[in-house]
Amino acid sequence: MTTWEGLLYGIGFALQPEVLVYCLLGVVLGTFVGVLPGIGAMAAISLLLPVTYYITPEAALIMLAGVYYGAQYGGAVASILMRLPGTPQSAVTTLDGYPMAQQGRAGVALFAAMASSFAGSVIGIVVLVVLAGWLSRAAVAFGAADYAAMMILGLVAASTIGTARPAKGFAMVVLGLLLGCVGTDVNSGVQRFTFGQTELLDGINLVALAMGLFGVAEVIANVRDPERQSLSERIGLRRLMPTRDDLRRMGWPTLRGSALGAFFGALPGTGSTLSSFLSYAMERRVARQPERFGNGAIEGIAGPEAANNSASITAFVPTLTLGIPGDPIMALMLGALVIHGIQPGPLMLEARPEMFWGLVASFGIGNLILLVLNLPLIGIWVAMLRIPFRWLYPAILVFLCLGVYSVRGLSYDIAAVALIGLAGYLLALARFSPALLLLGFVLGPLIETNLRRALLISRGDPMVFLERPIAAGFVLATAALLLLSLWQAWHRRASRRG
Amino acid sequence: MSINLIRSVALGLAVASVAIPASAQDTWPTGPVHVYVGFPAGSSPDTLARIITDPLAQRLGQPIVVENRPGAGGVIGIQQMLAAAGDGHTFGTTINGPMTTAQRMMDDTGYDVSTDILPVTLIATSPLVLAVSSASEITDVAGFIAAAGAEPQAIAYGSVGQGSGAHLTAELFAAEAGVEMLHVPFTSYAEVTTSIMGGEIDAGFMAPSAALPHVQGGNMRMLGITSSEPFPQAPDVPVLAGQAGLPADFRAELWNAFIAPAGTDPAVVERLNTEINDILSDPAVQEQLLAIGWNAAPGTPGDLAERIVVDTAMWGAVIDRVQAQQ
Amino acid sequence: MNRDWPDVLGGLALAGIGGLALGWALVHYDLGTLRQMGPGFFPAVLGALLIGLGLIVALPALARSGDTPRFELGSAAAVLAAILIFGFGLRLLGLAGATAASVLVASLAAPHGGWTWRILLALTVTALTVVVFSYGLRMTLPLWPRLP
Repeated sequence: MTTWEGLLYGIGFALQPEVLVYCLLGVVLGTFVGVLPGIGAMAAISLLLPVTYYITPEAALIMLAGVYYGAQYGGAVASILMRLPGTPQSAVTTLDGYPMAQQGRAGVALFAAMASSFAGSVIGIVVLVVLAGWLSRAAVAFGAADYAAMMILGLVAASTIGTARPAKGFAMVVLGLLLGCVGTDVNSGVQRFTFGQTELLDGINLVALAMGLFGVAEVIANVRDPERQSLSERIGLRRLMPTRDDLRRMGWPTLRGSALGAFFGALPGTGSTLSSFLSYAMERRVARQPERFGNGAIEGIAGPEAANNSASITAFVPTLTLGIPGDPIMALMLGALVIHGIQPGPLMLEARPEMFWGLVASFGIGNLILLVLNLPLIGIWVAMLRIPFRWLYPAILVFLCLGVYSVRGLSYDIAAVALIGLAGYLLALARFSPALLLLGFVLGPLIETNLRRALLISRGDPMVFLERPIAAGFVLATAALLLLSLWQAWHRRASRRG
Repeated sequence: MSINLIRSVALGLAVASVAIPASAQDTWPTGPVHVYVGFPAGSSPDTLARIITDPLAQRLGQPIVVENRPGAGGVIGIQQMLAAAGDGHTFGTTINGPMTTAQRMMDDTGYDVSTDILPVTLIATSPLVLAVSSASEITDVAGFIAAAGAEPQAIAYGSVGQGSGAHLTAELFAAEAGVEMLHVPFTSYAEVTTSIMGGEIDAGFMAPSAALPHVQGGNMRMLGITSSEPFPQAPDVPVLAGQAGLPADFRAELWNAFIAPAGTDPAVVERLNTEINDILSDPAVQEQLLAIGWNAAPGTPGDLAERIVVDTAMWGAVIDRVQAQQ
Repeated sequence: MNRDWPDVLGGLALAGIGGLALGWALVHYDLGTLRQMGPGFFPAVLGALLIGLGLIVALPALARSGDTPRFELGSAAAVLAAILIFGFGLRLLGLAGATAASVLVASLAAPHGGWTWRILLALTVTALTVVVFSYGLRMTLPLWPRLP
């Protein structure tokens, strides 16, 4: 089967009424759980799993995939309107999306998120179809040293975003890295900073951390804020549509973000987090007025949203072509297939073409549904801001607690949210960036494990970081970036003096 | 609901007219049964639990709620089961780790296997396969041991974590074969597979279900299996026992069992054991288990108790040796 | 004195956390070597870095003036108490009971409230929560308080 035949076949398959219904069901549910704070694709998919036993494996996978990428759309809505990111990648969207909402441009921000998400998905699908083979070879070729070098580059590139003072940004990244150390150390099995608590053996619950730092801190800060109570009055309906200038600003960031996402998404691990942060950092660097970022720059939404949606599509590459799930959600979907007696892997494309091409086609159809569904909803989402905050926040608190609870059913995690929320509120008062803390927290364990693993495999030879071409490339890029930053800082100081 | 109520009341009356039994067996279960699983929904241990609890619920005439409490390699599931115990309707399924090695790997698991937990029955076992990349020059176990014996740490192998079944099995193998290999811990078989296929590490002891697709895809080769019998999913893979100087009783298996908190009515344990053994004798159930890499292994509560004691001692010795090396 | 207190105190707190982490890691975990790092290596390096960064944030701020934000003690207490009540009440009070209790406590922080509003709010949120999570998403949670 050639690519074109496959695609046509897949479109035909995905357009069957029954399959279409499951696709619709998946993306609608995905959007819905994405909007609910804390309940992410992971929880929704595990809740849906029993249902999938009763439908065909193709329909099951298409529905679960719909939840997966649908949740990204919903996540953007919660991030922009209420500063409630459920995942680290949507934490990036809060950086400029929330300020835009505060300026009465929530509609434009939502439009930017949805349009760029759609564009990112389409580009992701094209990359998936054209480059799947190449990407899956890249995923296998990446070794521990390459991952470590790549993530260090990501950390260095992104560590000054979202903050006016670089030292404060770095401090948050380091604090995040340190919090990431909590739990059982993969390499030695030693339990670090767990203080005898079994609940901490797998580390701090990521959802509890995100909900505490963003959601709870935001609620505390705004409960008595008179501006927040009357925000709705400043939002006119005219502001719903983007201006020609907005559209012009979105173009390149969306393309660049999609490309970044498509590449990093295919690498098992945290491709989608890394690519959203990198996309944001890149846009700020190439912008003519970088100071606009953090104050409602539309590029800061378009790039990262395109990146994480593009990544969520190419994340299926290792899962489908190698049978290797890149993240826990993919592992869950793989498990759903295995229950049906289907083993994704190198043979699946030949053994079950309807599965592969049907899924690819459903990505396109599902994203189209999301766009068509969500654009008219923008008005309704924005109208939600008219509800006085005092009516909303108790529900937000309860929902985010349940979201955290849904991860592993422990009251311990809800108590942790309270503690983290207090810390998050203090950090917000002192203007430290919680997004960077989250970035450090997510990447920290991966950097440490891969760094130590690389040295273990090389039998202690640090030259491995320069001998492997991929790692060496990232090391050089990191060095170049650091030099560039230093040069820019020096240049700025010199020109200020001169 | 109302029919069940009438039925249980009627049953209670019928029994009461014959004698006055003190045992709860006659009315149990009086409400929904909760089964704690220490792994997330969709994982292999969770799927296994659901394969058993679906028919079990029909037989007991009460719904069974699977409570997923993932974390700490399954230990949190047992902790939560024990915390919720007391109503006679709380049970759990667990893999071998929390019952045999966890006490050695953790500061404090918060429970004592011998006094806090009643064994109900073994459900299923799973061997591990020794897999290498298909690009490797090694084609059999003898060749593998020769390559590993060339110099210490000549072979690097991957596992799914310090103290995991994959790690301890490899160390047991190394000790029996008289070689020293380099242990590279990962967190999932997916990572181990990628690393073997990418040529970074040489080998790994893996769950058959994790290795098989890659063997069929031509990227990996299986050299041997740790069970005493060939595994139905991969009948061509030779058992390791007795090969290339390995002892004839070499055996390392992961297992999954049904457990109850201490204090559960012995009659209830007996009933559960009978029902689950009955379910496991169904060929359809056996096939479902095999599809996710598990081999049905029915038995008495005593069998499970013995298995716990034997494995705790066996893995304890391996852990001693690993810790002495570090 | 109108110093930039948020940066001074924030920086010092971070330096303090870094110090604690460094100390704990040095005492309890093996550092290893650069070639074969132990479990203590990463936390110790990060702890030291955080001390440095914390001081870099704090010290220049001493010489800088800035405004001090208000710590909303009442809001923080009500919100955090609501979360804790929900977390620990879930098992005892059931989903409906824990939600209602938590909302009532959380609503104490709101400006110009009133008991009619609070009770109406608690009822609305509880109904919404039960519909969405219990019936919609089918989370397995007891709904009502457990009777002794």
